[in-house]
Amino acid sequence: MQRNQIIARNNWQNEVEKLGFGFHSTNVPYWDESVYYSFEMPEILAIEKATNELWNLCLGAVQHVMDNNLYSQFKIPECAIPMIEKSWTEDHPAIYGRFDLCYKDGQIKLLEFNADTPTSLYEAGIVQWFWLQDFDKNKDQFNSVHEKLINYWKYLKNYLNPGTLHFTCLKETLEDLTNTEYLRDCAIQAGIETKLVFIDDIGWDNDGKQFLDLEDEPIKNIFKLYPWEWLLAESFGQNIPHDSNRALWIEPAWKMILSNKAILPILWELYPDCPYLLPAYFEQGTLTNYVKKPFLSREGANIDLVMKHISLAKSDGQYGNEGFIFQELFTLPNYADHYPVIGSWVIGQEAAGIGIREADSLITDNKSRFVPHLIQ
Amino acid sequence: MKKSKYIQLVLITAALASCNQAKKPDWDDNAKMHIRSDSTAPYTNVYHHGGIGTALLWYYAFRPYGNYNNGYYQRAGYYSSAIHPSSNIGSNGFKAAVSRGGFGRSGFSVSS
Repeated sequence: MQRNQIIARNNWQNEVEKLGFGFHSTNVPYWDESVYYSFEMPEILAIEKATNELWNLCLGAVQHVMDNNLYSQFKIPECAIPMIEKSWTEDHPAIYGRFDLCYKDGQIKLLEFNADTPTSLYEAGIVQWFWLQDFDKNKDQFNSVHEKLINYWKYLKNYLNPGTLHFTCLKETLEDLTNTEYLRDCAIQAGIETKLVFIDDIGWDNDGKQFLDLEDEPIKNIFKLYPWEWLLAESFGQNIPHDSNRALWIEPAWKMILSNKAILPILWELYPDCPYLLPAYFEQGTLTNYVKKPFLSREGANIDLVMKHISLAKSDGQYGNEGFIFQELFTLPNYADHYPVIGSWVIGQEAAGIGIREADSLITDNKSRFVPHLIQ
Repeated sequence: MKKSKYIQLVLITAALASCNQAKKPDWDDNAKMHIRSDSTAPYTNVYHHGGIGTALLWYYAFRPYGNYNNGYYQRAGYYSSAIHPSSNIGSNGFKAAVSRGGFGRSGFSVSS
């Protein structure tokens, strides 16, 4: 894995905007093509193998949590448990997730799993692929995101309730809308009838006990780029179990277990010999070099990196009320004060490609940049 | 690693390109605006974080609102989540049967 500095395309903003990628910059570029990472094929195969193995371990861990009723360790509310178990036993559709991996000195370690509402899918699947066509189209990339999304939607089509598949996300966020519309684009190409409704606009018909879109079409299937813990905390969340249409929610409720960082100590307890896992606990215990992470947090918020009881890096935020886990410190590799984390996608039960986000500190936060990659 | 040489997008490019061209309305930040979504509802003042001048205009858009009856679409009115619930519903009985806005209050983006 090497970091390479290059000259960005002169008109890169126009090129990515032509793809519909509108959030490439804030006050600084988020999409950064002045840099790319190159991998040898054995390195890519190692990441692919790790991703597939971690996915299988995660499925085992979900079953373990249910069998042993460990929900209280995740601070998952009791009212959510029947929904979680129903979605698991009835095998409700799930399409994707993103492992955040640290790749350093030939070792691959799981930092966390974004199992419920992962983003940067469009950058990984589309934007960096078209960058490669301009940069060196004879090279390859670990990227079958697009094909796998279409193929898996085709597969899931048979498991949806009859009717439209709605897609929903928040208003006023182009990043969320882009991710959501990209998934919808792939579903359309899979032959599924779709419709977009912003989550703020979803209606509840109390007489019919059903969710409705803005045209009052009942919602039977819904992909939501909106976390389960937010859904359940809001007033309509209590209506989900009473929905007369029994709408299928994608990602399903059982992803609440995997998207919670409490899964990290559970994975370590179950699989201590796995080379991809770091020791992780619910208490600091004897750890002296560790990362303290909230059960639920986003964009690197409320993270504390501690070495020999001294804080190396710490981020602010609004998370942590539910509790924290402690994971053995395994710092990101340092490439001239740039720190890349590998987001490795699972789509339809298989490793599907990577996207790299690069930060200027050991914590990958909302100022990190997405940088493309290729295979040498 | 990459199995196909051809990627097609059927929806997203046009849809998002249009979304990305939000224009700042030339109202000043302190302007007051009273809105209602149907003539049976009372006007109320509009509040939005940052004031009108910093908001995206499309946030205030009134979305068509109706239902299907015997295969025909019947428009019942318009709805905007930017205005007070009382100004959305009024005495329009159809709209009052469905409540909206019960999701979407927890954050501004799910970015992760």
